[in-house]
Amino acid sequence: MTVARAFGTSLRQNRGFYGAVVLLCVLYLVYNLLHPRGFSSAVLIQNANESVAIVFLAMAQTIPVLLGGLDLSVGAVMTLAACIASVLVNGSPLQIIFGMVVTLAAGTAFGLCNGLIVVYGRLQPIIATLATGAIAMGLALFIRPKPGGDIDGDLNWALTNSLWDFVDTYALFDPDASWFAPFAWIPVPILIMLVFGVGVWLPFRRTIIGRTIYAIGSAEGAAYMSGLPINRAKIAAFTLAGFFASCGGLYLAIQTASGNADISQAGAYTLNSIAAVVLGGTSLLGGIGGAIGSMIGALILRVMSFYFRILSIDPLLQPLVEGVVLLAAVSLGAFRVLRIKNRLELFR
Amino acid sequence: MKTKSVASLVMAGMLATTSLTFAGPEVVSGPGADPTCFAPWSADTKYLQWPAQEGPYRIAVVNGFVGNTWRIQMIKTAKAYAEDPSIKDKIAEFKVVSTGTDAPAQLGAIEDFINQGFDAIVTIAVSPDGFDRVIRLADRENVVLVPFDNVLDTDAVMQVNEDQTAMGNQWAQFLIDELAAAGKSGGKILEVRGLAGNSVDRDRSAAIHDTFAATGGDWEIVEVVGNWDDGTAQKVTADAIAVHGQFDAVAAQGGTTGVVQAMIDAGHPMVPIAGESENGYRKLVAARSADGLKGISIGQSPGLVAIAMKAAVSALEGNAMPQLISVPLPVATYDQLEDGLNFWSDLPDNFFTVNEFPPCGVNISGPAIMSQSEADVN
Repeated sequence: MTVARAFGTSLRQNRGFYGAVVLLCVLYLVYNLLHPRGFSSAVLIQNANESVAIVFLAMAQTIPVLLGGLDLSVGAVMTLAACIASVLVNGSPLQIIFGMVVTLAAGTAFGLCNGLIVVYGRLQPIIATLATGAIAMGLALFIRPKPGGDIDGDLNWALTNSLWDFVDTYALFDPDASWFAPFAWIPVPILIMLVFGVGVWLPFRRTIIGRTIYAIGSAEGAAYMSGLPINRAKIAAFTLAGFFASCGGLYLAIQTASGNADISQAGAYTLNSIAAVVLGGTSLLGGIGGAIGSMIGALILRVMSFYFRILSIDPLLQPLVEGVVLLAAVSLGAFRVLRIKNRLELFR
Repeated sequence: MKTKSVASLVMAGMLATTSLTFAGPEVVSGPGADPTCFAPWSADTKYLQWPAQEGPYRIAVVNGFVGNTWRIQMIKTAKAYAEDPSIKDKIAEFKVVSTGTDAPAQLGAIEDFINQGFDAIVTIAVSPDGFDRVIRLADRENVVLVPFDNVLDTDAVMQVNEDQTAMGNQWAQFLIDELAAAGKSGGKILEVRGLAGNSVDRDRSAAIHDTFAATGGDWEIVEVVGNWDDGTAQKVTADAIAVHGQFDAVAAQGGTTGVVQAMIDAGHPMVPIAGESENGYRKLVAARSADGLKGISIGQSPGLVAIAMKAAVSALEGNAMPQLISVPLPVATYDQLEDGLNFWSDLPDNFFTVNEFPPCGVNISGPAIMSQSEADVN
């Protein structure tokens, strides 16, 4: 009874999030039904691989959005991390791990700088990150003026496949062992998203810093009067955004076994990350939502584009169709306006 | 039946092989099929042969960026060619998707089509690197992957392109010959380059410089960067004319309409010029060649997609194919221009004139497709 009531409350408080989950489930189910090899591990692996980078970027974008800001540098930080990884992630296993740590540390440090500039430079996040994004892009171009790099081939194969291939590539144990069979089909990229995304975000949001971020987004003045650590929370928010963006960049580099300082790709990822955040039920005004919702939102964005490979839609009409579907999906979140009792709530 | 056999092959492949052993094309000795159309890049180009499969085939085009005339023309050409009587019966299913400049999305789309059991995938790569995984998967399932235009830095797949070095050589040679006919064996040349850092720009420019240097004449080549874009090219050309006064000839990699426009605006005398295949450039050359604007026009054709599709089908039929296919350069000089034949005074300036390759039986006229669809829109 109490469980049901708690779920009911959660449902009422997170309509956007649950709506996004239902939408994703329906879209993905229909996609698999239409796909000639639907519901297979191969399809799941491909879908997961394609989604990792945008999922991490959407999670990165969520945290500044919860503050009521925007981070326009996430795409550039992802690109910078990918370019760093393309130089460092090779050689012996120890060197590879070192390269990964340096990549993540660099992205996190870049996020920290964003936070320091926003807090102590007293700049609007949107304009500060526009500038730092250009700096990240410049660094990425400096590190990798031409696309390339040699990321370990085994690593590329192992991390972009099922657990079976991962175990097989590194000969950890017999991949055909009977106890292993129930897990062997699970794609490694899904585990990466769960461990680095959910595993970092859920504990974080329960800390005082995490709750302060929500409080700032809801009412910064009230948060200040309550004695919450506002500056620390803002710096932590941008730092965590930098960490998630560099997770996306690291995976992008491993997935493509190379780095490419592609400016238009960085821009597209930044914009898509904002779309994913909104789709996942996070309010651009701040204070409402969460990174798990953005993860769902990013997956919805991706699944929408999967349909173009199954259905025959005129290629030149595809961007139009995608835009209309996106607008419709985002509009679903605006339905609350129809139920509103007091017009003052509209300004909330 | 076919999907079933492919699926069982995949299962067998997943279970029986380790990740490092995979099938894929065999390296064989030439010559390959239809050498007038599928010309090998050089004498040491290797040949690839896939096991013959029974048609009709399922073919997908995975484009990246979409939104300029060239890409739109390319997509329309692909669709029109799939309906061409010479190939229609060999294609069971044809799909085109554009992923934008998003490497994971493009790799994902290619892998999705492999999963769906497509037989061949034609693509313009968004990055010259990073395709290791899909190449591995394509080889494992005997899918023919054909990058064209922006090709990959690998010799593991069959690729289709025009020889950018040969293009640069021909441009420079034309200018040298025209200047020689006017009694000049040296002088000041304006070179309008393309996008910095791009291999096409690098190859074309190096070829232009090498060809001029090989004559031993006294050449001064002034370089400006026009990004293959009319607006940018027009601006940098105007600046160059303002600074240097007069040039004896102009070599432009792209944005040629803008280059000529800048010369006209500055009152620069009409001199020999080498440029791309924009319709606007050809219009200007046709109108002003008598004044001295003697031009050569060579283009990277959107029709390359049709050659790539034809090559994919040929590979699926089990023919030996060159690993790197060099498509003949479509060349037109000022004395060959004819309205309605190789340029169109009633079509927009940014339209790319070259779309057909008679040696390959690709006879899809670009203007025909472009104008037809405009009628559809209205």
